[in-house]
Amino acid sequence: RHIGPSASPVDRAKDVTMPAKLPVNFFSSGSPVTDFFQGQLDYAERIRQDSEVTFYFFYAPWCGQSITVREEIEQVARRLSDQVLFVAINCWWNQGKCRKQKHFFYFPVIYLYHRRFGPIEYKGPMNAAYIEKFVRRVMTPLLYISSRSKLLEFLSDYEPGVLGYFEFNASPQPPGYLTFFTSALHSLKKDYLGTIHFGVITNQQIAKEIPLTHSGSIYLHRHVNTSLIYPREVMNYTAENICKWALENREAFIHWLRPHGGKSLLLNNELKKGPALLLFIPFNPLAESYPLLDEITKVALEYNRCNKNQATEPAVPHLKETDSSPLESRMPDVHTPLAETFSITKYPCCNTVVLPQWYSISRTHNVCELCVNQTVGVKQSKVNLPQCNFLEIEAALDSFYLKEHTFFQVVSNTIECSNFLSYYSPFSYYTACCRTINRGLMSFISSEKTFFQTPKAAFSSHAKKCKVDTHSIPHIEDRNCLIPGSHIGGTNITGLSCRTNKTLNLYLLDSNLSWIYAERLGASQAIHTKEFAAIVDLQDEAHYIMDQNQALIKSTLGKVFSGAPITGG
Amino acid sequence: MCAAGSALLARITRDAFHFRFHLGGNFQHGSLAGNSTRGPAERVKSMFYHAYNNYLENAFPYDELRPLTCDGQDTWGRYCADLRFSVLTLWILGNVSEFQRVVNVLQEGVDFDIDVNASVFETNIRVVGGLLSAHLLSKRAGVEVEAGWPCSGPLLRMAEEVARKLLPAFWTPTGMPYGTVNLLHGVNPGETPVTCTAGVGTFIVEFATLSHLTGDPVFEDVARKALKALWKNRSEIGLVGNHIDVAAAKWVAQDAGIGAGVDSYFEYLVKGAILLQDEELMSMFLKYNKAIRNYTKFDDWYLWVQMYKGTVSMPVFQSLEAYWPGLQSLIGDIDHAMRTFLNYYTVWKQFGGLPEFYNIPQGYTVEKREGYPLRPELIESAMYLYRATRNPTLLELGRDAVESIEKISKVDCGFATIKDLRDHRLDNRMESFFLAETVKYLYLLFDPDNFIHNNGSNFDVVLTPYGECILGAGGYIFNTEAHPIDPAALHCCRKRKEEQWEVEDLMREFYSLKRSKKFTFKQTLDQRDGETQKDSAETTSEDNGGGMNSEKNRKRRIPLLSCSSQPFNSKLAVLGQVFLDNT
Repeated sequence: RHIGPSASPVDRAKDVTMPAKLPVNFFSSGSPVTDFFQGQLDYAERIRQDSEVTFYFFYAPWCGQSITVREEIEQVARRLSDQVLFVAINCWWNQGKCRKQKHFFYFPVIYLYHRRFGPIEYKGPMNAAYIEKFVRRVMTPLLYISSRSKLLEFLSDYEPGVLGYFEFNASPQPPGYLTFFTSALHSLKKDYLGTIHFGVITNQQIAKEIPLTHSGSIYLHRHVNTSLIYPREVMNYTAENICKWALENREAFIHWLRPHGGKSLLLNNELKKGPALLLFIPFNPLAESYPLLDEITKVALEYNRCNKNQATEPAVPHLKETDSSPLESRMPDVHTPLAETFSITKYPCCNTVVLPQWYSISRTHNVCELCVNQTVGVKQSKVNLPQCNFLEIEAALDSFYLKEHTFFQVVSNTIECSNFLSYYSPFSYYTACCRTINRGLMSFISSEKTFFQTPKAAFSSHAKKCKVDTHSIPHIEDRNCLIPGSHIGGTNITGLSCRTNKTLNLYLLDSNLSWIYAERLGASQAIHTKEFAAIVDLQDEAHYIMDQNQALIKSTLGKVFSGAPITGG
Repeated sequence: MCAAGSALLARITRDAFHFRFHLGGNFQHGSLAGNSTRGPAERVKSMFYHAYNNYLENAFPYDELRPLTCDGQDTWGRYCADLRFSVLTLWILGNVSEFQRVVNVLQEGVDFDIDVNASVFETNIRVVGGLLSAHLLSKRAGVEVEAGWPCSGPLLRMAEEVARKLLPAFWTPTGMPYGTVNLLHGVNPGETPVTCTAGVGTFIVEFATLSHLTGDPVFEDVARKALKALWKNRSEIGLVGNHIDVAAAKWVAQDAGIGAGVDSYFEYLVKGAILLQDEELMSMFLKYNKAIRNYTKFDDWYLWVQMYKGTVSMPVFQSLEAYWPGLQSLIGDIDHAMRTFLNYYTVWKQFGGLPEFYNIPQGYTVEKREGYPLRPELIESAMYLYRATRNPTLLELGRDAVESIEKISKVDCGFATIKDLRDHRLDNRMESFFLAETVKYLYLLFDPDNFIHNNGSNFDVVLTPYGECILGAGGYIFNTEAHPIDPAALHCCRKRKEEQWEVEDLMREFYSLKRSKKFTFKQTLDQRDGETQKDSAETTSEDNGGGMNSEKNRKRRIPLLSCSSQPFNSKLAVLGQVFLDNT
């Protein structure tokens, strides 16, 4: 490549070098951020002593990321500078104290201190809203639960919550409180997205609701599994242990994925666990409430709630009686005995498929009759399904074509049948009966096809949306069919994840940060709402996307879980 | 980097290449430069002009600008290296008028019959490659061309003349060239037979282009012979060292890796294969690729190993190795390319540049190798990968590079080499590849509509006296000095020359002339044509009898020269996300 030409003439100018340019202000002088552009870490440490919460921004002046994030930091600082000390330190300048003491592999680095506790490194998204949220968490690591409604609010959050009960009737602070407080800060170190919430109860009456009776007891709230009380007799009562215990035992039925931009196996690791439903929603970490997120949480909870755990919710049913709580809708109907739900109904719903030929010269065709067999009729009585559902046939065809190769080998004059499971639907399996016929019989086939078109015609309003040419041999590539609105309304998905082998993992992505993944999965740019849903199955190399014209609401999400066909990809 | 060549290169005397050139001071680039608010591409443009204008003002007619002392120095023998090497960048930046002027100056002719020792490798990639590229692009830039263009022309004749001066270096028992040749007397008696691997295997792109354009197969033949000699001398585990004795075919330096001393050999196997649609070259590369992956790759890093034993000799990442992800993208291996690229990018983020050597286990620079002379390789890879993936991370690297170069190395008189990345001390040099390559690749990364990125949707139809040719349809192959070659021209002239010879042969037969030297050339050429046509038609292996000896019996479904489709997970492999092999 480059053979470095070394100049031969002896020339003094050759040896001229120049030290790096002297550092200059990185933040403007009017900025609420104190800028130690010569890397004076010692000064920075000194002024930190007087501040309750300190924010350190270590930068390198040549670093593109540092330059981009600078504006975000200024924004946060303008909002919080009365409560938080914002300090920027040039940690590149080689004559500065910072460079001599710290050894960073990347820039910028953000550290937070809560008095003497720290540093807590922030590794989340580098935008103002997320940073501000995190700073606020460091400012107030514990939420004060002063009333019953606050408690309900705290418990209804989809993110895991840890509650401590401490009696503040005597000064000084009750024993263990400081440890609990520190564990809340500690959790921010480990869990930089701050998904675990920490709350403190001081009122005995409220504590009894959970129920906590002894001052100093700590409680981990869980929605699906049994909630836990910190086992003080087994584990030492230290901040690290409490934090570790909460992290290990927290429930994770809904994950935020926030790729940080650096090299990472995040998606690889999560998607290899199995089929995943990726929901893209715009998320503002500073918002007061998240109605859309609440909807999604409800669906996800129902999906994950297995029978064995349904009755094990100590605090919530009790609360429900007295309060019209938002938790109400989370409680599924468990009155119907399980056996009834699994009643097997069988009804005819078939379609004939002529397999595409490998060799067009071939004089024979493999013809299959594809039938949907409902094994588990979920609330059939409620749903009032017509006998043969167009969508089901579509789904059956999807599954069928994925298995198509197994039917190509069939060269037989007798009818051979095989059963296979449908994708993502635990309710049904399909039967395909295939045989080889001569071309002469083709006329028979086409008449068959018209016969089977009749049920389709009944659903013409839905069928219109699909670009299926019924007169040609249908094939998966030819179809581009979206879920027609609210067709399988009221599908019950309670406990679905326990009843099917193919469990969907649910992931949330902030479309403000990660919209590029939605685009890669086929999200349309024309639509302004940045909401998008897709199922990605890495193992089967398939992905399905939801019609973007549909709002992401509970009913449509329910459909996604219950395996209604959505656009194949 | 090729150590054997570098010392000798300096021997080129001051008066090696004479030519007169008067410039009226600072070149005016109008409103385009200096306006940094018009996106990163404009920022890159103003970077270029800051360096270019300072060169013209302070250093011309010396080879290189010395940015700290604001004067010039000769590294090439007053070849006006900066001016010549940056001429194609000018044109890619869209400055046609300045390009024309420099091309006209080049056309005035240079006397190559001079008693100087020149590096065969450097002369080829910079002089021959640069002339060929300027020749092929000159029509598009509005330079008046002669009737036989692109198969004849003054720049092509100059390229041929220079290349002929290099041919004596190839007259060795093995066919592998000496590192240095005297332009007047050929190889000096007592010349060292030790050449770096890259110095042996970096000719096929220029030489094959030259053969196809001029019709004289001697250039392509010597280049191929040298490539085959290296291939024959690879170790049992399929690796090559970095220096070889070209007379005795003995490896002198047995460190195997992808960087210094070897790099452009691998690069030219791939680029040669694409340019000539040659499966043999590609299959050589793919076998090397496999051995490299087996023995030198650790967790997406590539280390240096002993070429016979495969034991790690140097756990070091070299700045020069950063071309590798770009090369992998050319064979369609985007997945591995991105993973390695992201590793290299972390090194950039640590220092604001790539140190010449980076000790991987220690995570720090290596002593005496802490400099960053504004090399292009990582940016080059980013450009290729961005074409393939549109991954925004690659633009981010480009943006980091612009910030770093401007914040760290910009001085009043240009851009200075970073002597030490630990403290960003600057050196009094601005290497010629900064203008010729670094800026060019940066600009191409940020300019998606550049004609260089042409995907075949537009082209020129050129009428030659022998028929129509389609040119400029895209798929440009960059030589290792970032000089683009239009592969369509090779096809165009080959056809023409064949016809010409047919006529000549008929004439000869008619007059019952004896077999001439040219006639034997014709035969060899015809043979090769037969093979290449078969290859380019992408026939499956059924009866590909000719060139592919060992492949003959093996069933091969996917043609070597096609890229396999990308894995399903590549959809989501953006913004740093990588996926592990499914195997």
